[in-house]
Amino acid sequence: MISVESLSKTYGGVTVLDLQELVIPKGEIFGLVGNNGAGKTTFFSLLLDLIESTSGRVTINDIDVQKSEAWKPATAAFIDESYLIGYLTVEEYYQFIGRLRGKTEEEVTVFVKGFEPFFNSEVLNQKKYLRDFSKGNQKKAGIIGALIGHPEIVILDEPFANLDPTTQIRLKHLLKEEAEKYGTTFLISSHDLTHVTEVCERIVLLEKGVILKDIKTTASTLKELEAYFSN
Amino acid sequence: MSISLKQSLYLTKKKFFRAPQWELKMAARIFIGFLTLYFLLVFLGLGIGLFFIIRKVFPEADPISVVNQWLIYFFALDFLFRYFFQNPPVSDVKSLLIQPITKAQIIRRVMLRSLTSFFNFIPLIILLPFCIVVSKENGTTLSLWIWFIGILTLSGVNNFLIFLVNKNKRVAIGTISFIAGGYLLETYLEVPILSFFKQAFDLLYTQPLGLGIPLAVFILMWYLTEKFLKAQLYLDKGLSKKKERIIGSKLHFLDAWGPTGVLLKNDIRLIIRNIRARQVVMMGFLFLFYGLFFFTQDIYNDNPTILIFAGIFITGGFMISFGQFVPAWDSEYYSFLMGQNLPYVEYLKSKLYLLMFSVVVCTILSFPYLYFGKKTMLIIVAAGVFNFGFGSLINLFSGAYNVTPIKLNVKAKAFENTQGFNLTQMLFALPKLVLPVVVFYIPNLFFGFYAGVIGLFIAGVLGFLFKNQLLTQIEKIYQSKKYETLAAFNKNNI
Repeated sequence: MISVESLSKTYGGVTVLDLQELVIPKGEIFGLVGNNGAGKTTFFSLLLDLIESTSGRVTINDIDVQKSEAWKPATAAFIDESYLIGYLTVEEYYQFIGRLRGKTEEEVTVFVKGFEPFFNSEVLNQKKYLRDFSKGNQKKAGIIGALIGHPEIVILDEPFANLDPTTQIRLKHLLKEEAEKYGTTFLISSHDLTHVTEVCERIVLLEKGVILKDIKTTASTLKELEAYFSN
Repeated sequence: MSISLKQSLYLTKKKFFRAPQWELKMAARIFIGFLTLYFLLVFLGLGIGLFFIIRKVFPEADPISVVNQWLIYFFALDFLFRYFFQNPPVSDVKSLLIQPITKAQIIRRVMLRSLTSFFNFIPLIILLPFCIVVSKENGTTLSLWIWFIGILTLSGVNNFLIFLVNKNKRVAIGTISFIAGGYLLETYLEVPILSFFKQAFDLLYTQPLGLGIPLAVFILMWYLTEKFLKAQLYLDKGLSKKKERIIGSKLHFLDAWGPTGVLLKNDIRLIIRNIRARQVVMMGFLFLFYGLFFFTQDIYNDNPTILIFAGIFITGGFMISFGQFVPAWDSEYYSFLMGQNLPYVEYLKSKLYLLMFSVVVCTILSFPYLYFGKKTMLIIVAAGVFNFGFGSLINLFSGAYNVTPIKLNVKAKAFENTQGFNLTQMLFALPKLVLPVVVFYIPNLFFGFYAGVIGLFIAGVLGFLFKNQLLTQIEKIYQSKKYETLAAFNKNNI
C-alpha cells in the first residue's frame, strides 16, 4: 500500500506538486494522467526517493521512503531508458535485477521466457547490448525487467509510448493478468487516454501539481477525460 | 553555402556555457590549457635543445642525419598515438547531410578540420626551433628547409592514413611488430631495415628534388581519403553504429559472492565494454611503469620519501584513475540502481573490493621491480599495503563529492579529457598522494627507514581492520549527497 501525506515539491518558489492525501491500496491498477508539467514524473521520483520532498512524506507499506531503504524489495520501476544498463545484454540485465531480488539464474531465465509472446522474438537472444536496441525494444525489455521477482508495486512511466500497436494491446492484457494473478499494484502514467481507461481501475488527473479528478473507471470515464483535455 | 567560422564558434560557445557545471569545466579547461602549455614548452625546449644534445653526443655527425636515424621511430609512435587518440571529426556530419551543402564540401570540411589536430603541431613545435637553431649555428641552407617541409608533409600523410586505416587492429599490430622487429634485426643481426628509412630521409636532405616524393604521397593520400570518405558518407556505412561483439559474458565465478558479486560482475563488464572506461583503466596500468623514472636515477634513489610517491602510483594507478570516478561510472543509470533491491552500503562495498583487488593485482605485477633491490621492493609493497587498506577508502570517500556524469561509451580526446573532471577531485589528490608520504616521512625522520615502512603497514592494516566502520561513515556521506548526485547525473536526461 502506498500512502501520501501532504506531499509537496517546490523548485525556486514554484510548487510543481502538492498532494494533500492519496492512498493507493494493494493490487490496484492506478492510472495517472495530465499534460506536460502536471507533476507525474515528479510524483514518481518522490515515490522512488530520487528527489527530496519539500514537505510531507510518502510511505510504502508504512515505510517512509526518505528514512529507510526497506521499501526497495517491494518496489520496481521502469521510467525511461536510463533504467537500462546500456552495456549489458538483455539476459545479463535480467540476471542482474533477478539476482538482487534473490532469484536464481534458472528462475530468472524461466520467468522471462514466459514473456516471449510479448517480446515478439525481438528481445531475447539478440547478441547485442541494450544500448544498441531500438527505442521500442528497449521499452519492452525494461517493462519486463521491472516485473522480475513479482515485486508488490510496479511503477511504469508512459509504458505505451514507442511500442508498436500489437505490443500495446499485449501490454494491456499483460498488466491486467499480472495484477489479477499476483496482486501487483501498478502505477501507470500515460498520455494515451484510451489505453489508460481500459487498463486502470482508478485514474487520477493532475493539473499543475494538484489532483483535479480522482475517478473510479467506468464506461463514461474516457468521455469525461476527453472533455477535460479538449479545453 | 557552408557553415561559417562565426556560426561554428557561436554553437561551441552555447554548448559550453549551457553544459552542467560549466564553471568547473571552465576551471578544468584552464588547467588543461596550462597542461597543454607545459607540453608545448617541453616540446619547444626539446626542439631547441636537440641540436646541442646531438652536437655533444655525436660531435662528428651532421645533426640532420642523426635526427633522420630516429625519425622512423617518431613516425611510428606518432601513428600509434593517432591510432588510439585521434578521432576523425565526423560527429556533426549526420546533421549536415540533408542541408543544402554538397558532399564534397562536407568532406573537405572534415579533412581540413582533421589537419588542426594537436598531433599535427607536434613535429612543427619540435622541428621549427630545431631548424632555426641549426641554421643559426651551421648557416641557413635551402636543403634544411626543404627537409623541414618534407617531414611536416609526412606527418600530414600520417594524419590521413588514420582515416584509411579506419581502426583496423591489424595495421596497428603490424606497425608495432615492424618497428620492434626492425629494431631487433638491425641491432642484433645487422639487417638494415630501418636504416633504409634513414637513407630515404637523408635523400630528402641531400636531394632537394626529393621533396616531390612526400608531396606526391600527401596529394595521393588526400585524394584517397576524399574517395574513401565519400563512400562512407551514408547512414548505413561509415556513419552507422558498428555492431559490437559481446565480451565478458561468462564470469560465473563471481556468483558465489552474493550481491557484491553481482555488482562486481557489472563493474568488470563496464570496464571491458565501454570505450571511456577502457581508456581510463589503460592509463591506470601505465602507472605500473612509473617506477622506471624514479628507480633508475640516483638522485631519487637516495630519497626514500620520493620513492614512496612512486610506490603509491605503481600500486594504486588503476585505483586512483578508476576510483576518482566512483560513482560517476554508474551515472547513466544511477536512478535505476537507487531503486533496486540493494542497500547503498552493498553498492559501496562492491566498489571498495574492486579497488582493493586492483591494488593486489598491481602490487603482484610490480614484482619485477625487485631488480632494483630489496629495499625498492619493500617500498612498493609498503605503499601497496597502504593503498589496499587505507587508500581504497580515501578514494571511495572522495568519490562522494564527484557529481559530474560520465558518458561511458564516448572516447575522450587527448588533452581534452575534461569529462568527469572536477576541481574537488584535484584537492582529493592530496590525501591520496601526500598522506602516505607523510605517514612514511615522520617515522622515517625520527626512527629511520624501516620505521617509515612500518608506519605505512600499520596505516594500511588499520584501514582494513576498521573497514566496515569507516564504510558506514562513508555511506552516510553518500546518502546525504544522494539527491544532489542524482540531480547532477540526470541533468542530461530530464
